This record gives sequence, C-alpha cells and structure tokens, in this order.
Amino acid sequence: MQEKISFSQIVEAIKAAVEKLDEEKRYLDRLDSPIGDGDHGRTVSNAFQKIVPLLEEGEANNDIGRLLRGIGRNLALSAGAAAGPLYGTAFMEAGKVVEGKTDVGLEELTKMLEAAKEGIKKRGKAEVGEKTMLDTIHPASESLKESLSKNLSLKDALQQMRKAAKKGMESTRDLISQKGRSSRLGERTRGHIDPGAASSYLIIEAAVDFLVDKLS
Amino acid sequence: MKKFINDPNKVVDEMLEGFLAAHHDMVEKLPTSRVVVRRGAPFKDKVGLVTGGGSGHKPAFIGYVGDGLVDAVAVGDIFSSPSAGQIYNAIKAVDSGKGVLCMLGNYSGDVMNFDMAAEMAREDGIKVEQVIVNDDVGSSPKDKMENRRGVVGEVILWKIAGAKAKEGASLEELKKTAEKAIFNTRSMGVAHSPCTVPTAGEPTFSLGENEMEIGVGHHGEPGVKRMPMKSADETTLMLMEKILEDLPFTSGDEVVVNINGLGATPLLELYIIYRKVYQMLKDTSIKVHRAYIGEYFTSLEMGGFSITLTKLDDELKKLIDAPARSPLFVQ
Repeated sequence: MQEKISFSQIVEAIKAAVEKLDEEKRYLDRLDSPIGDGDHGRTVSNAFQKIVPLLEEGEANNDIGRLLRGIGRNLALSAGAAAGPLYGTAFMEAGKVVEGKTDVGLEELTKMLEAAKEGIKKRGKAEVGEKTMLDTIHPASESLKESLSKNLSLKDALQQMRKAAKKGMESTRDLISQKGRSSRLGERTRGHIDPGAASSYLIIEAAVDFLVDKLS
Repeated sequence: MKKFINDPNKVVDEMLEGFLAAHHDMVEKLPTSRVVVRRGAPFKDKVGLVTGGGSGHKPAFIGYVGDGLVDAVAVGDIFSSPSAGQIYNAIKAVDSGKGVLCMLGNYSGDVMNFDMAAEMAREDGIKVEQVIVNDDVGSSPKDKMENRRGVVGEVILWKIAGAKAKEGASLEELKKTAEKAIFNTRSMGVAHSPCTVPTAGEPTFSLGENEMEIGVGHHGEPGVKRMPMKSADETTLMLMEKILEDLPFTSGDEVVVNINGLGATPLLELYIIYRKVYQMLKDTSIKVHRAYIGEYFTSLEMGGFSITLTKLDDELKKLIDAPARSPLFVQ
C-alpha cells in the first residue's frame, strides 16, 4: 500500500477535477438558476480551465506547495464573481502548508484541507450551516482529521472524506442561505442544493476517485 | 427576451467597444485587462479613485470615469463582480504614489474580490483603503446595517470623493470624508417590472400585472413587501417615511436628493416623484441643497425608481457643488 501521493498524482487529480467541472457545468448552472443567476457551472468551469497550463508547466518544479499557490493566485485573479476569490484562497492556503513538498501523506492532506477550509471561512466571512461550499468542505476536513487520529490507511481516509463531503453537500438542501446573492431569497432557498457546495463536492469526488484508483 | 443584442455572452465587450469609441477623448481601456481608466492617469499628487462592479447599471460605473469623479473602473460581467486581477490592475494604473481609495457596493463577490486586490496591491507597496457603500434601507434592518446593499449612494460618494481627491486630500482625509458621506446617505427603491440578464434569458423575478415590490435591489433582489400598484404620491410617501426615519433626517437638515430611474421609468414619472419628495421635505423643514433627477444607476430595463437622500454639512456641500466632467455625468 502506497501511503504517499506524488507531485504528478496531485497534478493528475486536479486535472480530473477540472474535467469533472467541465462535464458537470450544465448541472451546476441548473442548480444555480432557482437561487442564483444560473452561471455557477460556467463560471467555475471557465476559471478552472485557465489553470490547465499551470498543471502542464508545474511538472518541471515538482513542488506541490508552489503548484497549489500558483493555481490559487490564478483562480483569484481571473475568475471574478464569488467563486474566484473563494477557490483561489482555498488553493493558496492549502499550498502554504505544503511548501517545498514533493509528495504528501494523510497528515499533510489533513493540514491542506484544514487550511483551505479556514481560508474560505475567512474570505467569505462564512460559518458552517449557512448553505455555502463550507458545508461540503468542513465535514470533509473533519473526516480527514478523524481518520488521521484513527490511523486509517490513506485510501480509506480518502473514501471516508468523499462520503462526508457528499453528506455535507446534501445537507445544504434543507438549509436557508445566509451568504451571497441567494441569501436575499431567504426561505425560498430551502429545497435546493447550494451550487458552491456542489462544485466543491465534484472537485473532491473527482480527485478522490482518481487517487483511490492509483492507491489500490 | 426581446433585446437589441448580438451574442448574449458578448454584451459587455461589445458595449465597451462602442463606449470607448464614443468617449476616447476622456477614457481608455487598459491593454490587457477589462478596466476603463481616465486618460492621463495616474495624476500627480492626487489619490487614485477606483470603483467597479457588475455591468448592466449604465451610466454606472464607467460613465463616471472623469474629472472630479473616479479614475478607474473594473468592469464585471452583467451583475457579476469583476475579478481581483482586474481590480488590482485598476489600482496599479491610477496610483501616483499618494495611494488609492477603492469604493464598492456591499455585495459578497465585490467585497471578496476588492479585498484580494487590495491585499495584492499592498504587497507591492501601494497604499490602499476601502469604503463599502451600504445605503439601501430596504435591504436589511438598521441593527444589521453591515448587511445592507450599496445602491445609488455610490454615485453620491463618487461625486464627493472625486471632488475631495481633486483638492489634493491625503488618502486618510479622503477616506474620512467618504465614510461621512456614506454614513449620511440613505436610499430605497421600488419596482413594478423586472429585468432580464441576457445570458439567463429569463426575468430576474415576476410580479403580477397590477403589483409592485417595495425595497427591490439593483439586481432584482427581493424587497420588503409586495403589494398592489399605488399612485406616485402614495408610493413616494412609503419610501420617504422609511428613508427619513432611518438616519434620521430632521428639521433644519440640508440634503442632496437623487431620484433615480431603474431603466424603464420615464423622466416624466421621476419628476412627479420629485414633486412629492420636495413637498414632504418642505413640510418637514428639510432644505434641498441640490436635486439630481434622472438615470444615475440603472438595473438594465427594470421598471421602477429609487430615492436617495444625503445629509450635508459645509464640507459635503462644497464637494457636491464642485464641477465634474465624465462621459455620462457633467456638472
């Protein structure tokens, strides 16, 4: 059992996430229509398409921290809307805790997701339960922490994390939006999955599926 | 959707091409970023003024890039924040070394992107301060003012801050005056018909044939109350009562009034509204120092209007009266 994820596997996992967002952009737009302005899928997919050149160039420097910070800066600078700064901050903060690393294990992954979560909380001034991407990322981060304390294998920990993220995303269906444009709709947002929570889950799902496949 | 456009995804870029062609004597676009700047910027010994936001609010935001107003605007897609990269480029383009004041409406996307842009500019050694506009009384109760949206108060702020910056004020002085202007400003709007974002193709909300909604936001955000259509006087009375009690504006105050059409309401109606506003203020012994009636900050083709009042002191009076000249605002 391999217990580390290499630089090139991180690159491939992110590429899998970029492809997933492109495939599912219409689904995300549809989620966004009743409670937002119906463009979340296109906004997020376009933003992530722009990081593809960084993933290609990244091969040369082999530094996971630097790669993630570069992706974060790129997302924040080019994307606009709310998704740009939120995903941008998440990647930048995750990158800061693995500066200079050429591979990462469960301990580093746990730190990365914790840092990403804290970054999103701070940037979006959001808390768990406000119907945002945090409702996906917070349980995913908690799940990794628990797996680390239980000494689970990396593969099991990733699968647990994906489950927790999915449950978190689905929990947004019953929540009332407290953040962003949809918060103006109040009670009318109940019954709809939050598009940001959904795009966060798709990223986690695609990356985990790729990595679990490599770990087995 | 009936609109004279070509490709819904290109409305902002095509609008910008026309705007720049028409007003090339006053403004230009940065070569690699969707930012409109005043020709000649940065200006020596003057704090740079940057604003920005989603498109669809003509004449805001780009119509106010000019002398005695703002120096640069980061142009977002329709009703969508510009990126932090655009805002950062705008800040860099107008900094003369004296610093830059960013002015933005209180919307989560704008706040996050302006925050990130300011952080990056500060890393480059540029002094950056921010003023967030939250004048919309209809968007949140007074005890939650931090949740209020920014609407036409932004125009009043640009005018005041533009005049103050031109006097050579420092960044700190400018920020203080700008905060005072916004603190003294209250707005509220009403709509009877929605607008349609071209890429969405559907109206932002729906109202019955004989219905109106009080407190509607500049992007069709739901307001405080839906009710059957009322007359100009009755509607104005409802909005004015909310506005007056909120600051509160009281007898002896001097104010600037802005009656703003949201895109599909004719000037004829706006003057009927102002007639009632003026009567009410006169009856309360509030003096109108200056009145702006027209389209200052629209919401595509939304049918409706907003009323904005700013309480003035001697400093603000002088600044609101100063001359200004931009493609879509001349005084």
